[in-house]
Amino acid sequence: MGDGSDSKRREKITEDVIALLKESMNISPVDLKASTNLVEELAIDSMQLYEFVVDLEEAYNIRLPDELLEQIVTVDDIVDLVVRLTSE
Amino acid sequence: MQDKEQRMSAALVRIFENVLLTEELSLSQGYFSDLSIAEMHTLTAIGPYEAKTMTNTAAILGITTGTLTVAIDRLVKKGYVERRRDDKDRRVVRISLTRNGKLACRMHGKFHRVLARRILEAYDNDEQEMLLGLVDEVDKYMASSVSKYEDKNNTESIRKTAAAVAKDKRRRKEDG
Repeated sequence: MGDGSDSKRREKITEDVIALLKESMNISPVDLKASTNLVEELAIDSMQLYEFVVDLEEAYNIRLPDELLEQIVTVDDIVDLVVRLTSE
Repeated sequence: MQDKEQRMSAALVRIFENVLLTEELSLSQGYFSDLSIAEMHTLTAIGPYEAKTMTNTAAILGITTGTLTVAIDRLVKKGYVERRRDDKDRRVVRISLTRNGKLACRMHGKFHRVLARRILEAYDNDEQEMLLGLVDEVDKYMASSVSKYEDKNNTESIRKTAAAVAKDKRRRKEDG
């Protein structure tokens, strides 16, 4: 039962992350998957990353300091981080 | 010894000037070229998260609330800071960063981190620890030097420092 609601929550966070990334990067959500590499595939720069991060912090009322951002490679990594921070 | 003192003294002045110059240049050529270094440091003192009081922020920056008020007026006009009255105590004004203010603050934080990373990456782990230990010592010494001058009412401490400087000068003259 718990697993079902957890996976739904994760799905919702993934949707939000992709929608916010799309806004920051001005790209189609169709091009974005959980495995998409932000630096290599999207060529995201610091300013775009921070635009996205500031919006994500606001949306989920979380803090994403640079030390945590450095661990992020894919869209899925961001989702993991949001899931973890919103569960604490 | 004198040569070492001169090298140390020149290096300290150069590091201080070059860090400031690098900050200024990176700011003037980046996304937030309408901000001065002092304004960027004000944004950093407010920080990207919870709203701060004027008193608190002025204390962090080491300036008076009057000076901060003028700076905040400008930052509000430029769209980096917002002001609002505290919900519980209407006499208290709270300041926080707008979305643009948060972006500027975070980009500037990254500038400092990258600068530190570039300096450290030339060394292996043990050397980095040694370098950080030495820099910490210099930092502590400078902080203690500042604290001697900070309490303006403590003329005794200033006199002691002046006497120490005079004595040191005399000693060096005699030595050299």
